[in-house]
Amino acid sequence: MTKKKILVVDDEEAMTRMLKRNLEATNRYDVRTENSSSAAVTAASEFLPDLILMDMMMPGMDGGDVAAKLKEDKRLSHIPIVFLTAIVKKEEAQPTGSKIGGLTFLAKPVKLDDLITCIENHVGK
Amino acid sequence: MNQPKQAARDPQVPATEAGRNWLGHWLQPTGLRAIISGLVILTLIGLVSLLVYETGGTRFAWLHLMYLPIILAAACFGIYGGSAAALVAGIVLGPYMPMNAFTGLPQTTSNWMFRIVFFLLVGAFSGMISNFLNGQIKRLKQTHQRLLQAHEELKNAQMQLIQTAKLESIGRLAAGLAHEVKNPLAVIQLGVDYLTRTAKADASRDSIEAIQEMADAVQRADTVIKGLLNFSRSEKLALVLVDLNSVIEESLVLVRHELTKHCIVLEKNLAEGLPKIELDQNKIKQVLINLFMNAAQAMGDSGTLSVKTFVQQINAGFAGQNPASASVVVQIEDTGSGIAEDKLDKLFEPFFTTKPVGSGTGLGLSVSKNIVELHEGTIKIANRTDIRGVAVTIRFPVQNRS
Repeated sequence: MTKKKILVVDDEEAMTRMLKRNLEATNRYDVRTENSSSAAVTAASEFLPDLILMDMMMPGMDGGDVAAKLKEDKRLSHIPIVFLTAIVKKEEAQPTGSKIGGLTFLAKPVKLDDLITCIENHVGK
Repeated sequence: MNQPKQAARDPQVPATEAGRNWLGHWLQPTGLRAIISGLVILTLIGLVSLLVYETGGTRFAWLHLMYLPIILAAACFGIYGGSAAALVAGIVLGPYMPMNAFTGLPQTTSNWMFRIVFFLLVGAFSGMISNFLNGQIKRLKQTHQRLLQAHEELKNAQMQLIQTAKLESIGRLAAGLAHEVKNPLAVIQLGVDYLTRTAKADASRDSIEAIQEMADAVQRADTVIKGLLNFSRSEKLALVLVDLNSVIEESLVLVRHELTKHCIVLEKNLAEGLPKIELDQNKIKQVLINLFMNAAQAMGDSGTLSVKTFVQQINAGFAGQNPASASVVVQIEDTGSGIAEDKLDKLFEPFFTTKPVGSGTGLGLSVSKNIVELHEGTIKIANRTDIRGVAVTIRFPVQNRS
């Protein structure tokens, strides 16, 4: 089975390491991490992921800015983005992601099962 | 045991106040004091009369002493009292009185008539002044009372402002803190998930239990943070005109399972035809569910939860409230063990809880109070007076809303 490619963008290294560790442990995902929002677009164009998991609040460009840049690139504009954010409340965000203004949000702290369900909703099993 | 006097007990009452009150009681007598004052005045009239007769008749200077009981009567009983005393004084000093025979000084009827007229003039005039002064004193007392009430209201308002400012600061701090804590918490959550998935096969029972306890701790921390965010983000309301009863019914549906599980009887007494009020339904549901759950937890495995709604008219106060204004009131009562009196004042403080450690965030009531106050309402919690238990009363103003 071909592994789905996931790009994880978060300024906190522990978070990206933990996400990579968890997702790769399922043997279903190939994960690349990036801790700088400014390097995220380059990483996406090199890696061409099936889905991008991205923190919303980052120094420099925030998650929204990175998403806008990705949408400008025709090769990358189709890639679904799931925002991981500490701002959205659990009530506002469904456990497996909620759509706010056409974007998918997952509230931190997210449980691995919920995260995987959310990823599956976008890229299939 | 000696009972200290009110004036001595209250530091705000000056020492001279007690004296003024004493004089006031005797200058405006009622009941037994009025009878005693009347008897004293009559006795004085009698004594002065005797003095006049004994010292040579009404021509002598002692006659002027008669003005004293007349003025006293006017001071005590106003214009009618002064006039009545003047008449009595005039009668007892009349030329037909048998005592005149002892003085040897004949009185003429015209003199006597003049005397009565003077007495009446003094009595009536003193009485008018007394009536006027008493009216002023009464108005001053009413103003004083209103000022005291206004002072009390201002003091309460100031306390509420201080409390609100304190809560707002905590709210701002909480929002920042919540954001900073959620990131490391997310890492811990994912770490726990990773350990759960990978270490399960060969892990000892202790290791599995330790992981589970970590997972529970993360959930508990997340609950606290959720409460903090609720606390700091309840400033915007989505107001719609609704019947409070329907919001209560919908909230009760959500806690029905909990009530049934704990064998709690629900008594509803929702008034029909409540005026509709503007509410943020979700936020009010959050408040009601919080209160219902608190009540259920306080009652344990049996009890009665009473929910009552009614309309209450608000009386016009010193601040010139519209006398026609009314409140829609919801009262939630339980039959739990009640709350210790020394804890009642602290219930709305953030992080204060009467629940066992770990089972409450201590933010539910702070958030509830915040939400109710955003609706310009009030929330009060007190122990029930009829039986043991707690009564929560929430009032929402109807004025300019329906």
